[in-house]
Amino acid sequence: MPRAGTVSRWGFYVTGTALAILFLSPLLWSGWAAVRTDTGFGLENYDRLFSSDNGIRLHHVLNSLTVSALTVGGTLFVATLGGYAFGRFRFPGRDVLFLITLAILMVPYATILIALYVLLGWLGLEDSLIGLSLVLIMFQLPFSIFMMRNSFEAVPLELEESARVDGCNTFGTLIRIMLPAVRPGLITVGLFAFLTSWSEFFAPLILLNSTDKFTTTLAVVNLRTASHGSIDYAALEAGVVFMAVPCLVLFAFMQRSYVRGFTSGALKG
Amino acid sequence: MKPRGLRVAAALTAGLLAMTACGGGANDSAAASPDDGSTLTLWTRAATESVSKAYADAYNAGHRNKVQVTAYPNEEYPAKLASAAGAKALPDLFAADVVFAAQYASQGLWTDVTDKFDAMSVKDKVAPSHVRAGTWENRTYAVPHTIDMSVMLYNKDLYAKAGLDPEQPPRTLNEFAEHARKVDQLGGDVNGTYFGGNCGGCVEFTLWPSVWAANGDVLDADGRNAKVDSAEMAGVFALYRRLYEEGVAAPASKDEAGPTWLGALQSGKVGIAPGPSVWLDMIEQKGVKMGVAPISGVTGGESTFVGGDAIGVGATSAKATQAWDFVAWTMSDDAQVEVIAKNKGVPLRTDLAANKYSSADPRLVTINNLVAKGKTPYAQNFNASFNDPQSPWLQTVRGALFGDAAKSLTEGNSAITKSLQQG
Amino acid sequence: MPVTMMAPPTERAGSQRRRAAQPVRLASRAGRRWRALVGVAYAAPTAVMVGLFFLVPLVLVGWMSLHRWPLIGKPTVNVPANFTGIADDDLVKSAVWFTLKYAAVMTALLFVVAFGLALLVQHRRPGVGFFRTAFFLPMAVGFASASLLFLGLLSDEIGPVNDLLSWLGLVDGYVSWTSGSAESALGSAVLLVLWRFAGFNMLILLTGLQAIPLDVYEAARIDGASRWQIFRRITLPLMRPTIALVLTLMSTGSLLAFDQFWILTRGGPDNSTTSLVMVIYREAFIRLDLGSAAGISVALLAVLLVFNAVQLGVLRRRSE
Repeated sequence: MPRAGTVSRWGFYVTGTALAILFLSPLLWSGWAAVRTDTGFGLENYDRLFSSDNGIRLHHVLNSLTVSALTVGGTLFVATLGGYAFGRFRFPGRDVLFLITLAILMVPYATILIALYVLLGWLGLEDSLIGLSLVLIMFQLPFSIFMMRNSFEAVPLELEESARVDGCNTFGTLIRIMLPAVRPGLITVGLFAFLTSWSEFFAPLILLNSTDKFTTTLAVVNLRTASHGSIDYAALEAGVVFMAVPCLVLFAFMQRSYVRGFTSGALKG
Repeated sequence: MKPRGLRVAAALTAGLLAMTACGGGANDSAAASPDDGSTLTLWTRAATESVSKAYADAYNAGHRNKVQVTAYPNEEYPAKLASAAGAKALPDLFAADVVFAAQYASQGLWTDVTDKFDAMSVKDKVAPSHVRAGTWENRTYAVPHTIDMSVMLYNKDLYAKAGLDPEQPPRTLNEFAEHARKVDQLGGDVNGTYFGGNCGGCVEFTLWPSVWAANGDVLDADGRNAKVDSAEMAGVFALYRRLYEEGVAAPASKDEAGPTWLGALQSGKVGIAPGPSVWLDMIEQKGVKMGVAPISGVTGGESTFVGGDAIGVGATSAKATQAWDFVAWTMSDDAQVEVIAKNKGVPLRTDLAANKYSSADPRLVTINNLVAKGKTPYAQNFNASFNDPQSPWLQTVRGALFGDAAKSLTEGNSAITKSLQQG
Repeated sequence: MPVTMMAPPTERAGSQRRRAAQPVRLASRAGRRWRALVGVAYAAPTAVMVGLFFLVPLVLVGWMSLHRWPLIGKPTVNVPANFTGIADDDLVKSAVWFTLKYAAVMTALLFVVAFGLALLVQHRRPGVGFFRTAFFLPMAVGFASASLLFLGLLSDEIGPVNDLLSWLGLVDGYVSWTSGSAESALGSAVLLVLWRFAGFNMLILLTGLQAIPLDVYEAARIDGASRWQIFRRITLPLMRPTIALVLTLMSTGSLLAFDQFWILTRGGPDNSTTSLVMVIYREAFIRLDLGSAAGISVALLAVLLVFNAVQLGVLRRRSE
């Protein structure tokens, strides 16, 4: 009935808008606080963020980008091959390996970080961006492999059949047929890998020693405290905004893709 | 006078190092000159970064060795050190909060430098409380790096407005309370005093000097037994508690965990409060005219908490000789006057309290002279027992100031003692 | 022979998915063995990463839990003191109690909010994309950054919350949300987590919601079922696997909570918001007792494994 439909439609939009405002307001406030100074508005806080003694420098940003690129690349590589294996093949130890991968979710940083530090030392990867990226890839595996396995499982059998009939081996099938079919899943995995590695704090803190290898997040947190911990809130918010902007931009851009990634049957449990 | 002192120190150090090298000192491989162009890594916490960097820059300018400073966020610095130690990958040099020095010394994070230090002529002229802090079982592991002391900071403008003489700071804690009450009567958003009621480190820094000034103590000499239920400590707590209950202390004091402490004083709305001496400059930059006085006991006496950082040579470093060259240099006249005093810092040399820079401002001379009078508490498990937000000390403080005082002090004392004796 | 190409998975791909779930079956044993080998090859990078960077350190942690492990120097065997010490420690006991309480409250609230949001945005309507993005956007900010953001937001110095509440007349004078009282500190942390993770869980629940075929709803409506009955008898049961996944993620994440308490409340006031992982952190990095930290970690991991196994078992059995 039209009247009931109109009421429920208005209800939807009013509730939705109210909630949307609620969810967006902290981010909006952060942007506003970042440009607010003692005397009104201005970019002073950003100036302090970049030019203060322990502020953000170009090499911080380059390091963050390097770590993110390595983490995204590595995660996509391992998760794609792994997801293909778990979703399409039967082999001994398959379920055990899958469960152990999921178990990574149950171990917090504080437990494993010192042991990881020692391990990286044994491998000669201490104080290196590569070592850090490998650790971050490992922590991404539960979500990524779960996502890719389900994405691969959701691809119809007929597609793979037709490829085999055409004479493709498994690798060819993977590249030519499967990858395009699981593209939304790949985008979601890549996006999350980027987000986590870009804003990671504790792992770079412990695993990196040289200042020239520090990432942007470390620089921002260093701004947090001075003598007896007096916080420079304004510069801090400027730092938060600076870190969030690339992610927000990516998010907005890829909204359709990752929603499709979630809804392509990849996360049904 | 200065260059000769430096030359003597350098000669002694070189001589000592030469002797150790010839005497087959196990870790000093091929008798290397200490200043051989090595790159040395120095870790420090964010709060100390500017001072460590100033030392390093001045040292690098005049030596072939180059010191590289890396700073870490204050709260996470202990985690960083523990991880590096666990992986046997400590830097060549690292500085740490002086109250943690005993713990790190006992864990062997720093190299034993007893012989090197004993051979120095300035050995008895550097902040004795810091030296004690860096000692474990009679061996020296760390020496002073920076000094940060607690003093009474008072707002001269508010004093004048309240009818108090801005040149006559209080001489006893009771007088301090009276002055605070007078300033508080100005009303509005002006408060008599301010303290960090949710921060164990802040309270020990500002309240313990009053206990020491009355010849009391909070710990035994070995740091194995707590005495926070002593009459002196209880009396100091009671005084501050009264100020809070009367509204003379700002209500925000109850939740102050440290981050906004400086901001509160910089607002110019607090009459008189104990705080770090290094803040004098930072508060005045906000246009507030400040005076300084030593922290006194309830009925008299004066003392201070000699905080700051201690520095030592990393235990796993392969460049111990070169690293010590830097450490020794930081204690020299040149370093202390031209790097520290010039930047309004407190020299760690007790004989340099009145130097050419500090003499210009009598307040600085007052502060500097306190180094010899103050104390640095000593305990192996200091961090876990007193500084950490989950420590039994913080619980005791909260109870003594805002809850059941008698119960908190007795129970707290046992809990702290248990923590001190753990492990 | 041309094979009919199936359309790519749509938003209601339930039946297609079920058919596609079986791996390719091969006739001959050699063929099966070959396929298994290929599978192993593809799974190899995963096995290496998990084995080297997860299992090896985990074994080391287990080994450490049996020793007294100084930072520098030789470890000495110390069984079972690292584990029995847990029972004596008051801080551990209060942290366990708080963590359990927090996990229950957080999981319940987060689930209700995320489900509510999912129900709101499940239908295709103009503007729904905007809403979904708005709810999900907080995930763009790293969790540490989000905690710092909330620290500023709730602060007295620059945060608008106190000003707003004073203006509304609800609050008088100075209030500290993150350390004023145990309830407000917990509330601040809960609010932070809700804000940041509701959108993510909403998307997961959305996929489950949208996998239910429309005809099932139609049939129920024809039979005269009310909306509440449809929800209880059709929606919920068909979403069991998704709900299981979401609850597992939420409860495990809550039991391992650290960042929000470390940054926002520092475990206070008076240790009222000190979580178990904070205690592990404290043992390892403040008390420098690696053996004890490892002991608590192993105990926690064992509990989590059992808990998740039970939870999945219960939810899976009921979905059959």
